[in-house]
Amino acid sequence: MKKITTRRLTAGVLATALALVPAAVIAPAATAEDSSGSTLKLALIGDIDSLNPFISITAQGTNILVLQYQNLVSWGTNNEPVPGLADKWTTSSDGKEWTFHMPADRKWSDGEPITANDAVWTFNAIKGNEKLKQANGALVENVKSIVAKDPENLVLTLNTVQAPNPGGDLPIMPEHIWSKQADPTTYANDKDTVGSGPFIISSYDKAAGVTMKANPNYWKGKAKVDRIIWAPYQNSDAAVQALKNGEIDIAGGLTPAQFQSLKGQPNITTNAGQGRRYTALGINPGTKSKTGKVLGDGNPALQDVNLRKAIVMAIDNKTLLEKVLQGLGDEATGEIPAAYPLYHWDSKDLPLKFNPEAANKLLDESGYTKGADGIRLDKSGKPLNLRLLGRNTDPTHQQMADYLKPWLKNIGINVTTTMKSSGQVNEDSSKGNFDLYFTGWGIGPDPDYQLSINQCSSLPDDNGTGNTTENALCDPKFDALYKQQHAELDQAKRSELVKQAQEIIYNSAVNDVIWYANALEAYRSDRFQPFTTQPEKGGVITGQNGPWGYYSATPIGASSTTDGGFNWAWVVIPVIVVVLAALAFFLLRRRSASADNRE
Amino acid sequence: MALPLIEELSNEESRKDTDEPRRGSSWLRYLGLKAGGTAISLVLVVILGFFAFRILGDPIKSLTEGRNVSLEQRQILIKQYGLDQPLLGQFWRYLTDLAQGKLGDSYYYSKPVSALIWEGLGPTLLLTGTAAALSIVLGLWLGQRAAWKRNSAFDKTQTGLALIFWSVPTFWLGLLLLLLFSGGLHWFPSGGMVTAGSNLTGFAYIWDVLRHMVLPVLTMVAVVYAQYLMVMRASLLEEMTADYLVTARAKGLREDLVRRRHAVPNALLPTVTLIFLTMGGLAAGAVTVETVFSWPGLGLMTFKGLSTPDLPLLQGTFVVFSSIVILMNFIADIVYRLLDPRLRAG
Repeated sequence: MKKITTRRLTAGVLATALALVPAAVIAPAATAEDSSGSTLKLALIGDIDSLNPFISITAQGTNILVLQYQNLVSWGTNNEPVPGLADKWTTSSDGKEWTFHMPADRKWSDGEPITANDAVWTFNAIKGNEKLKQANGALVENVKSIVAKDPENLVLTLNTVQAPNPGGDLPIMPEHIWSKQADPTTYANDKDTVGSGPFIISSYDKAAGVTMKANPNYWKGKAKVDRIIWAPYQNSDAAVQALKNGEIDIAGGLTPAQFQSLKGQPNITTNAGQGRRYTALGINPGTKSKTGKVLGDGNPALQDVNLRKAIVMAIDNKTLLEKVLQGLGDEATGEIPAAYPLYHWDSKDLPLKFNPEAANKLLDESGYTKGADGIRLDKSGKPLNLRLLGRNTDPTHQQMADYLKPWLKNIGINVTTTMKSSGQVNEDSSKGNFDLYFTGWGIGPDPDYQLSINQCSSLPDDNGTGNTTENALCDPKFDALYKQQHAELDQAKRSELVKQAQEIIYNSAVNDVIWYANALEAYRSDRFQPFTTQPEKGGVITGQNGPWGYYSATPIGASSTTDGGFNWAWVVIPVIVVVLAALAFFLLRRRSASADNRE
Repeated sequence: MALPLIEELSNEESRKDTDEPRRGSSWLRYLGLKAGGTAISLVLVVILGFFAFRILGDPIKSLTEGRNVSLEQRQILIKQYGLDQPLLGQFWRYLTDLAQGKLGDSYYYSKPVSALIWEGLGPTLLLTGTAAALSIVLGLWLGQRAAWKRNSAFDKTQTGLALIFWSVPTFWLGLLLLLLFSGGLHWFPSGGMVTAGSNLTGFAYIWDVLRHMVLPVLTMVAVVYAQYLMVMRASLLEEMTADYLVTARAKGLREDLVRRRHAVPNALLPTVTLIFLTMGGLAAGAVTVETVFSWPGLGLMTFKGLSTPDLPLLQGTFVVFSSIVILMNFIADIVYRLLDPRLRAG
């Protein structure tokens, strides 16, 4: 009998506990959130590699640091160069000497003045320490010397003339903080830090995320929100739930499916911003090393530009954009996306636009006869079988491959597809071990780097290591154009040269740019007014080249509770269900216990 | 993952019948054999740890992907990571470092791997430990009830339900719970271990962590409790025909007491091995659950390491976690023999 009483007691306690669970979890949901109207909560997807600006190389780190440190020259809301720590700059007549003026009234977040010496220290620190080159080493390579003429004037002397502003992209560090670090390479920079941008990191914890406070000394004025919290998530599905739940205010990097699911949700506004990334099909033209040694196992037939052109013409970019990306992007021309109108090659009539008849005709004329099975034979009489490589981490690759296969079959080319890990695709593509592969690059506001990796000098060494080439292009005409634009200080002329360079890549049919995907984002419009996008028209809020999106965050009135439109039926019904279930369980236990007893 | 464990257990059973160590010297021989096997496994893990991850591609290419990186920067990285050395040279350095207890620095986090493992160990053990404890209790309890009432409605529904949960893909179940209880009902947070940006202390902190734990623990328990249920059920069924139960009943004991005092203790033995194996795997974390629920643990870190590929991180976690599993296996082998009263009697 005693046993049964204990059991009954246990069952009772269990039932009560079960019944209390939903009620208990609701209570803190409304109160534990300490997000007031002056906090902007962002989803941080993935892990931060480092918050040390000399070391951090991933988007997770750099997206945070861009809010904290300014360059001499910033990128404006339309991706144009605008004053950063320097308010004006001039270039000498030979183009090698750049003078930056740094106004005396700019201050670090701790109140110390920002001077030319901070910039000198930063440039020299990177030049003098290999480890500090990890993040931005490339930006100081062409800098011969850097001198502070006085606290307000900085003179940068270059080895060779360059069009990209040498004061852009490199974050300047406060010398009075960093010079005191015994080893700046291992300085975590994650607590009570000092910076020049609109928000400053005040704490970082892997579990609790990054908290940034508004910088009262930011030269454009203190931000309207008091703090930013980066909440760590490991996948964008969770971030989407958090946005719906009210735990965060903005989520970026959404997939088309997530984006569509958030459209029309109450209190949420979606934004499909003009993307700054291109997606392309790389076609192996016969990868060679700098010395001309053949690398990799690319199909030799692809060395014929006409075969490559036919492949480009067989692919319907518009259909891919509409079916795979659900129309959330722009049809592409060259490598520089439409988000950068200064350099975007805006050709309405692309010579290799979708035209399977023309593709078939070109192949017929080039001597690729069809075999009995409809597959064409290459010049050595072998059927044209090509391998298509994609990443198993990107679902659009498999989807695009599913469209490409029948399209290429239609022009007599047989395609087999393989999806591999990112690391393996990087390795295969850089060593020339592919025929066709899906690739893509995020493009910065200055196109110089992207063009530079298409030069003959970017081809790898004989053992496949060394430089990175975009797609094994080596064309003296392109190289000449690249060098011209690199040294052209007249914006209009440079823009023209950059467009011509893109046209050469296009016509070589080594990199068929398919689309510029939109950057898909959503934010809580019940809490924040519309953000400043970059570009201002149709641009992005998250992941900008600069701090403008988050800096513009303007809370709406008083804070709303986290679960504004909460429906109490959702609580009451499950509580009743659980109580009933517990009761039933309890009664059943009683019955079986007494039955046991009878036995 | 659970199936081989069960097979292993049944092998354990058959071995017990054939090469049963009796006492004294045979015990030593048994220990020696097991220790030898453990040592060989550890050596293989150390070798495999170095070579297995090299097929994942060039870490420098991945780390510098899509960034404005000069040749000089790339060469500095290659030198810094020691990737300019011949493979055997790198292997030797790895072995000598390991001998001194050094696991190297992670490429991605630019931090010592040992510090990273230490950082993630707490959150991981909290999650996996809680889930394991709950699933062991739930699985064993349901398992013995199900076996005792073999072929009853209770047995059929419980076994069926457990197997259904077991078969459900973990990430799918996790996402479903997330969608329902976080995004839909707003009952639980959508991920992480604490509310981002909060500086909670004391009870408020504990409460916050508990709320964050509910969904990941629920997912893990749902997916794994079936293996305890099935093992417990199978081993109790074996015991149920034993003569001593007839004796117990003949003494006039209640059916309930026969089960709890006589059958269950004997049937628990095979689960000991299973529990030790589980304990070995706890530190390695739960990659899927940690990823779905953004739990800042070791499983997630290993997953990150794979996508870079972050060779020192992968080598370090692989060697450490595999060693724990192997050692736990070894301990399970010993404990099993210590616990079995039949062996003591022999």
